[in-house]
Amino acid sequence: MKAAWAVYCKEIIDALRDRRTLIVVLVSSVLLGPLVLIVLSGLLAQFETQAEKRVVVVSGIDHAPSLKNYFERQTYTVRAAPEDHEDLLRRSKLGEPVLVVPEGFEASLLHGDRPVLELVSHSGNRQAEVGAGRVRRLLEGFARERGLLALALRGVAAEVLEPVEVLGRDLASQQSRASQLTAMLPFFVLMAVLYGALNAALDTTAGERERGSLEPLMMTPAPRVAVVAGKWAAVASVSTLIAVLSCLSFLPAQWLLQSDTLQALFQFGWVEAGLFITTLVPLAFALSALLMALAIRCRTFKEAQAASSVMLIGVSMLPLVTVFNQEGESPWHLWVPVLAQQTMMSRVLKGEAVPLDMMAIPIAVCVVLSIAGVMSVARSLRAAAVR
Amino acid sequence: MIVVQHLAKQFARPRRWLRPVSDPVRAVVDVSFTAPDGHILGLLGPNGAGKTTSLRMLAGLIEPDAGRLSVDGVDVVAHPRNATARMGILSDARGLYPRLTARENIVYYGLLQGMPRDAAEARAIDLARMLDLTALLDRRTDGFSQGERMKTALARALVHDPANIVLDEPTNGLDVMATRALREALRHLSTPAGGGKCIVFSTHIMQEVERVCDSVAIISRGRTVATGTVATLLEATMQTDFEEAFVALAFTETGCA
Repeated sequence: MKAAWAVYCKEIIDALRDRRTLIVVLVSSVLLGPLVLIVLSGLLAQFETQAEKRVVVVSGIDHAPSLKNYFERQTYTVRAAPEDHEDLLRRSKLGEPVLVVPEGFEASLLHGDRPVLELVSHSGNRQAEVGAGRVRRLLEGFARERGLLALALRGVAAEVLEPVEVLGRDLASQQSRASQLTAMLPFFVLMAVLYGALNAALDTTAGERERGSLEPLMMTPAPRVAVVAGKWAAVASVSTLIAVLSCLSFLPAQWLLQSDTLQALFQFGWVEAGLFITTLVPLAFALSALLMALAIRCRTFKEAQAASSVMLIGVSMLPLVTVFNQEGESPWHLWVPVLAQQTMMSRVLKGEAVPLDMMAIPIAVCVVLSIAGVMSVARSLRAAAVR
Repeated sequence: MIVVQHLAKQFARPRRWLRPVSDPVRAVVDVSFTAPDGHILGLLGPNGAGKTTSLRMLAGLIEPDAGRLSVDGVDVVAHPRNATARMGILSDARGLYPRLTARENIVYYGLLQGMPRDAAEARAIDLARMLDLTALLDRRTDGFSQGERMKTALARALVHDPANIVLDEPTNGLDVMATRALREALRHLSTPAGGGKCIVFSTHIMQEVERVCDSVAIISRGRTVATGTVATLLEATMQTDFEEAFVALAFTETGCA
C-alpha cells in the first residue's frame, strides 16, 4: 500500500511536469469542444439572421407591378438584381436567389396565360438555397391569392381550393431538439478522457522500458501489483482531471453562444456536468488500464503510440454506431464501453432520466476491464523489464 | 554474503513464421561464485559471457533453469522480495526519470524499499556527499552527463544501505577521475568503517580488477572458468601479466579452475 502510494505520487509529479504534452492535451481536448460549439453557434446565428431578412432580389420587377405590390404587402423589400447575378451565384458571392420576371408578365397574367417566373439559384450555394425555399413559398402565396381572387369573383368558396388543412405538431421536447445540435458533445469529452490517459499510460509503461528504468524498478522489493496499481491510479487520475476540465469547459462556453435558439436549447448546467463526470470516471479508469496493458507489450514509446492508435480509432468510431443505427438505443449498447457512455451522455443532454440500474452495467463492465488490464500489466511487467 | 552455485539459463529463440525452431541460446551454463562480507569480488569476462544474465538472475528478474542463489542465506528464487531488499543492485539498464530531480529519483527508490520519507531524504544527502553529487541534487536529471547519471543511479541503488552491493559494469562511460572516485568509494564500503559490505561487480576491464578486487571469478561462454585472487591466477597460468593470464583462462578450451 505504501509502495503503491509512492508510485502514485511519483507518477503524478512526473505527468504534471510534462508541461508541453499537458498543454497540447488541454488545448486539443479541453478547449476544442467549446470552440466548436461557439463556431457552430456563430454559423447558426448567421442562418437565423438570413431567415429573418425580408428581402427578395428580382430582375425586371417593372414588368410585374402586381407582384411588387404583393411583396410589399408582405413587408418584403424588393431589390434589383445585379447584371451578372448568375456568375455571382455560381461563385457564392451572392447569398440570395434571383427571381427573373419576363417582359410582358403583367399582361399575360391578366390574360390567364400562366406566365413563367424563373427562380435562379445554385445548389452548391447554401445560403442561396436556403433563401430559395423562402422565395418559393412567397410566390406560392402570391399564386394562391390570385387563384382565390379569381374563384371568389366567380362565387366559389375558398375552402374548395384547400379541402385539407395540414397542422404540424413536433413531438420533440425542447432539449431533444437541442441534442441534435449538441450530439457531438459526448464525442469531445470521450476523446478528452482518452487523450488525457494516453500520454501518461504510454510513459509509465513503454516509456519506462525505453528509458531503461523498468529494470531497476523491478529490482526493488515493492510488490508488482502495488507498482502497477500506483501507476494505473495515477494515469486514471490525469485522465479524470482532463475529463472534468473538459466537462466544465462547456459551462462558460454557453455564455458565449451567439445563436439565441442554440442558447435556449443547450441546457448544460452543473447537474448535467456532474452526470457527465460520473459517467466518465469509470471509463477513465478502464481505458487507462487497457492502454497500459497494450503499451507494456511495446518496447518503445513510438511502438506503443502505433499500437494505441487502434484504440484511438475504436473510441472515435464507436459513437458513430448511434448515428448509423436507425433503431435508436439498443440494450446491448450499454455493454460496450464508450458506446455505453455515449448513450448515457446523450440521454442526459436530451433531458431524459438515467436510472441507476442503467448506470450499473457500464460501471460493472469498466471494473472488469480495469481488473483485467491491471492484472495483465502486473503479469507481463517482469518479462518486459528484461526484454 | 552472496553465494551462487551452478547457475544455468537458456533462452528460447523467437519463433519465426514457417521456419524450423532453432536451438535455444545457452546464455549461462555453469556459473558459481562466492562473495563473503567485507569482500570485493570481480566478475571478469568478455562481452556476451553471461555476466549480465547471471546478475539479473541474482536480482530475481529472471528465473534460473538450474542452480542456487542465496543472499545472506536467503534463497533468491524462493523469496525474491526478501533477497532483493538485502541487495543494492546497479543493473545494466540504469535509466533515470528525466523530469525528476536527482534527489527525487533517489528518494523514490528509498520509498519503494520501504523506508520512511525523512530517512530516505537524509540518506540521499549522505550518499550525495559520498559520491560528490551534492551540487546536482536539485537539478532534473534530464541534462546530466553520463557520469552524473551513473552516480545518481548508484546512489539510488544504495539508498537503503544494503549489506550486499551488486554492480553491473559500473565504470562504463566514466572518466578517469570518476572511475577513481568510484573505486575509492567501493573500497571504503568494503572496509569495516564503511560497513563491511559484500560487493560483486562485473567488468571486462583488467585494471579495475587488479586495483580493487579481493578475488576474481573469470566467466567465459557461460561458465566460471577460474576463481581466486589475482596472484593465484597469475601463478596458475604461469604469467606475469594479468591480461595474458585472463586471455589464457577465458579463451582456451581447457581453463584451469
